[in-house]
Amino acid sequence: MSYPSEWTLRRAIAFFAALGVGVAIYIAVEAAGGDTPACIAGSSGCATVAKSSYSHLAGVNIAVFGIVGYVLLLASAFFANDLARFGGFLVALGGFGYSVFLTYVEVFKIEAICQWCVGSAILMTILFALSATRLIAFAGAQSGSEPLPNRA
Amino acid sequence: MNEGERRKQLLQLAAGAAFLAVAVVLVLIVVNASSSGDGGDTKLEGTKEVNRALKGIPQNGMVLGDPQAPVELVEFADPKCPYCKAFAEGVLPPIIENQVKNGQLKISYRVYAIIDDQSQPAGAAAYAAGRQGRGWNFVELFYRNQGSELKPYAEDEFLEAIAKGAGVKNLSRWNRERAELEPEVEATTAEAQELGFTGTPSFAIKGPKTKGLQPLGTIGGTNELEAEIAAAG
Repeated sequence: MSYPSEWTLRRAIAFFAALGVGVAIYIAVEAAGGDTPACIAGSSGCATVAKSSYSHLAGVNIAVFGIVGYVLLLASAFFANDLARFGGFLVALGGFGYSVFLTYVEVFKIEAICQWCVGSAILMTILFALSATRLIAFAGAQSGSEPLPNRA
Repeated sequence: MNEGERRKQLLQLAAGAAFLAVAVVLVLIVVNASSSGDGGDTKLEGTKEVNRALKGIPQNGMVLGDPQAPVELVEFADPKCPYCKAFAEGVLPPIIENQVKNGQLKISYRVYAIIDDQSQPAGAAAYAAGRQGRGWNFVELFYRNQGSELKPYAEDEFLEAIAKGAGVKNLSRWNRERAELEPEVEATTAEAQELGFTGTPSFAIKGPKTKGLQPLGTIGGTNELEAEIAAAG
């Protein structure tokens, strides 16, 4: 199986993580100002989700955790070593898992869909796929510029 | 450690982490799915008393009593207001027990959000409970568990516990609709201001002997309220 170069994967991770930082900051700023993120086409889903108890974890808006996660993923793209590859994978795994849980909550518990949350979940899914690919292809590599031989 | 060994170790750690993540997400989903009961929250005070006191009395939105009752008392109140709590517990019960239960009076609860930023969402949460015929249960139970008006205790968890205790059956619907009903709270707050009310609870009354909705303002006690009801009907 052929993989893209690590440089390509890192650039893609940086791009999607930067988008994620923007989305998470928007949600956090709106929440801090007492507002709710504006849904496209006038849907009230974002207000419903933002006002639900699931929007906070230990008293902290989950968008703040989102900002931290995306910034860590962005940082992982700047380094081509195993710490960045494995750390990025763990952060993306955590973010992806929590996004799955939050999507379940939106659909089955709150019964409202927030487009910003869906957007963030899609970004986290892409970042998880990219980070997992990067780890599988380049774990143990010194330079990280090309996949190591004898990969699955 | 050579490159191959390090790679093998990293991938084993990654597989373990992925397995752990799947397990955690599944546990979170199962725990949340099993906590969706409609039963009352045992941490609340007065749940049984409130629901017993209101049992059998018709509720239509936030209106308590027979919809055909000749006299309508409109109460403008804030769920976080301590005077409203005192009024609900000290003045209204005999009125509900007599005039409301015998079909002479209906009481309309309208939110006048006046205490703090939590008053509006709390009022909207009451209105959403009213959509499921449990608006008065919600408000009365809120009063029984009211905290200091200076503290932001009326968070989502508190409101959800009140909704459960009040017997709101469809919590998902309640959760969805309470966000949509905040403009209605703004409208009733504006109505109270247009009537010249500056505090809560304030009252207005409508009956065969009044010219439309007659502002009463604040009421001293049960006797004064009964006199106003008699005069309106």
